[in-house]
This record gives sequence, structure tokens and C-alpha cells, in this order.
Amino acid sequence: MTSAAPSRSLSLVALFAALLAVFGLIPKIDLPFGVPITIQTLGVMLAGCLLAPRQAFQALLLFLVAVAFGLPLLSGGRGGLGVFVAPSGGFLVGMLFSAVATSWVMRALPGVGPLRLAARAFAASVVGGILVEYAFGIAGLVALAKLTPWQATVASLAFVPGDLIKCALCAMVVHTVARSVPDWRFGGRTAT
Amino acid sequence: MRSLYSDRRTWLHAVPAGAKLLAIAALGTAFFMIDRPSWLAPGASVVAIAFVSLGRSVRPALRLVVSITVASALVAGFHMVVGQAGIGLVSVLRLMSASLLGVMLAVTTRFDELLDVFETLLRPFERLGFPTGRLALGLGLMLRFTEHFFVQWRRMDDAHRARTGKPGGMALLAPLTVRMLLTARRVADALAARLGG
Repeated sequence: MTSAAPSRSLSLVALFAALLAVFGLIPKIDLPFGVPITIQTLGVMLAGCLLAPRQAFQALLLFLVAVAFGLPLLSGGRGGLGVFVAPSGGFLVGMLFSAVATSWVMRALPGVGPLRLAARAFAASVVGGILVEYAFGIAGLVALAKLTPWQATVASLAFVPGDLIKCALCAMVVHTVARSVPDWRFGGRTAT
Repeated sequence: MRSLYSDRRTWLHAVPAGAKLLAIAALGTAFFMIDRPSWLAPGASVVAIAFVSLGRSVRPALRLVVSITVASALVAGFHMVVGQAGIGLVSVLRLMSASLLGVMLAVTTRFDELLDVFETLLRPFERLGFPTGRLALGLGLMLRFTEHFFVQWRRMDDAHRARTGKPGGMALLAPLTVRMLLTARRVADALAARLGG
């Protein structure tokens, strides 16, 4: 099961994992109306939109392995095995599947051209970055913090508006990428 | 990039990484199987004493410990509000001890020691065609370029400040991503030239 160009794929996977790490190092960004957000989960959405599902999974896996090995790459300088059993551990593991789901949706939706691609990216990151990510995060809260599913859902809902903004940011970045790197294969799709 | 690892040697530095991982796996599972506070509390105390015994070596990870404590306090508060203080106590004891174990591993074990253990564990999969050698290369590339992209981001942020007087913020996300994609292509070419394929 090796792809045609494994070392090309490896470079993409590793550099995307690096981008995820950098997004964790960048301090909180203030949105125009003064709300600060951390952008690490934006990196997960972008990995999904820009990479093939398999590569997106590998990029997140590489990133999470480095985190588990104790590198403080999560936003706020967190790292180590401990963060996987912290209450928000489900959200971390969920990143893997969130990126894959985003990539699947990105690949499945029709439409080329920067605007269409941005719309695809928005829809894909809502499905992957919010629906799938929160499913895992809420399951994690139930399992690790012993909340009831209802409590966990209510506690998580507070973060949905911020994540919707990240979906919009992701669409904007995809729009720029589509114009700057026109031959990029979004979601790993070969035929456009 | 500052790692959580501390050069100040402690008794736990001398324990092989594999043994530490095994201990974490066993203790972590035990903590999650036990739900009696009368058993969990002594277990958590032992972990806390072990953590304190590392002394000043844990300093790089103190912020992490604070954030874990805050998260645990929130969980405890949540359970108190809904009148389930017992469950709250159990989950906080669990979370704190499991997280402290993880922090202790990170503080006392070098990255390459863990990588060695990981590659040993993956070796059986190599026969099935899983390219384990690429894992080390991938991690190396990732760490090298994390620094590279971070420096690029800072330069772009400085340039943006110089032009507009405001921090770059989200205006830099797209250019940073585009640069990353172009760099990935260049690195891919370089790798293909050296490794083939």
C-alpha cells in the first residue's frame, strides 16, 4: 500500500504537521470584534481541505505522536501523554477523524474555481471540524470527566460559534490558496 | 522550541523509557478501572508524592500542571453544581493522577528515547509493509519545519506591524499556508531526488 510517490506524500504530511504545530505556537488571534481564538483546530480543518484523507490522517497522527512524546505543541504549550486523559482528551483524538471526515467531504463535493472551492471548504469543515470533532470531544467528556451526554453537549456548545468562525477562516484560506496555487489538488482529488 | 524535558537529572531519568511507558499504561488502566475514592485517593497521593519528589525538574511543565488543575477544578465544580460531588471527586482524582503520570514521563524522558521504544513496538508491523523508518524521518522534518514556519510567521507579523502598526493576526494565515504548500513541494522534490520515488 505505497502510493506512487511516497516521499512526496511524506513531505506534505510532515510539513502539514509542522503547520499544525506552528498554529499552536502563534498566540491567540483577536478577531475584529475583539474575541480571541486559538487557531490550532483551524489547522485540522485546513489539513482536511488541502490533503487527501490518508495524508490528512497521517499528518494528524504525526502531530499527535509528537505531542504524546512530550513536545509542548498544543496551544498554550501543552503536551505529553497527560493531555490525552485530560477532560478534553476526546477532542484531541477526534482531530484525527475530524481531518479525515473534512477531507472526504471536500473530495466528494462538486465545484471548481476559488469561490466554489471556498464553499466546499466551509461545508467540509463544518462536517469534519464541528460535527465529527464534537462527537469525539463529547464522548471524551462523558468517558473521562464522567459528565452525562447532555451535560457534555451543553458544555461544548459554548465553543461552536468560535469554531464556525474558524470554518469561515478556513474557507478564506482555501480561497486564497486556490488563487495562488491553482494546480493544488484539494482533498487529494485528481480529476477536477 | 522549548521541550518539557528537563536536563536536571532525577531518579526517574535513570528508569528506561520502555519501563516508564509500561508503568503508565498499567497505572493509567488501573486508575480508570477503580471507582472507589477510598482506593483512588491513596493512589493519587502516591502519584503526587512521586511528582513532588522530582523537585525542581518539573519546572518546565508547571504551566501544564496548572492548566490540568484548572480543568479538573472545572469538572469538579460542574459535578458539585448538579449535586454529584462523589462522581466529581472520583473523576478529578483520576484525571489528576493520570495527567501527572504523563507529565512525569515528559519531564524525565528524552524525545529520542521514546522514539526508540516506539520504533521497537512498531517493528512487527514493518514485516507487514508499514514503513516505520519514515516515522523518524517524518518527525524530524516536522520539528525542523515547525521552527522554520514559526520564524516565517514572526517575520511576516513584523512586516505587517511595520506597514500597518497592527499585529498581522488572521491576515497572515493564508500567506503562511501558501508558503507552507510551496515549501512542501520543494522539500518533496529534494526528498525524491535523495530517496527516489
